[in-house]
Amino acid sequence: MAINTEKLSMILQHFVTATTDVQGAALVTPDGLPLGASLPSGMDEERVSAMSASMLSLGERIGIELARGSVDRIFVEGNKGFGILTGCGEDAVLLVLASETAKQGLLMLEIKRVLAELKLVLM
Amino acid sequence: MPNVLRQKLGDFNSILCFKAAILGMEEALGDKACAIALTTAGRARGKKLVETWGLDNSSLSLDDLASKLALALGQEGTKLCIVEKIVTEGEAIKVYTSETLCSAGELLGSQRKCTFTMGVVWGSLEKILNKRLRGVHTESVLRGGNHDVFEFTHLD
Repeated sequence: MAINTEKLSMILQHFVTATTDVQGAALVTPDGLPLGASLPSGMDEERVSAMSASMLSLGERIGIELARGSVDRIFVEGNKGFGILTGCGEDAVLLVLASETAKQGLLMLEIKRVLAELKLVLM
Repeated sequence: MPNVLRQKLGDFNSILCFKAAILGMEEALGDKACAIALTTAGRARGKKLVETWGLDNSSLSLDDLASKLALALGQEGTKLCIVEKIVTEGEAIKVYTSETLCSAGELLGSQRKCTFTMGVVWGSLEKILNKRLRGVHTESVLRGGNHDVFEFTHLD
């Protein structure tokens, strides 16, 4: 069955515009295809998607090889902000980009909320 | 074909070396991450190919695309694989290939899937059709098939 990518993009767009400090988000398949995205200009959706899926896969490998168990999320903290990758069920991976001023606790709550919303569309 | 890139050795290198590079990447990054990277690289290559032909968003038939790909990737081209035919079955587009680089040198029964090769076909189809597709390697010469078959369905 075809995935409603339009609806997924709308949810992501709303998430990005309505959540303080969130600068972009993308939902991608585990094999690196973009399902929906609202990214800062200049970021290539295809490249971001492939990178996100590879990163999650690499994280899973690290979890296994280095005995860290199953991976809940991958967190990249840079001096200009955060990049957070979270699994969204079996069929998708959510990438969220946030500025350095984002409060991590709030951000995680918002990600949890949008994940629930996205999963409903993917079902 | 473009100008020869290496004066003495020519433009082709051994599959053995290429495979060794892939195996090394799989060892370091894991099969899945490596497969994603190779498929993505293939898709980009396929899209570029169509761009160089000036055929993006064109109304090229699948038969004509098969001929174009066969020429560009086959014996007279880069020798990535032989594209035998492209057919539609219901909503799916099936691409039949043989002698793919990805399956070359593998033992019968190997679970290896085509990544870069499938990606090239995938990217070219997406560029020609101007549609986003999802690709799966459905039949393999390594697992009893007569061809390596890639099946594409519309993503949205």
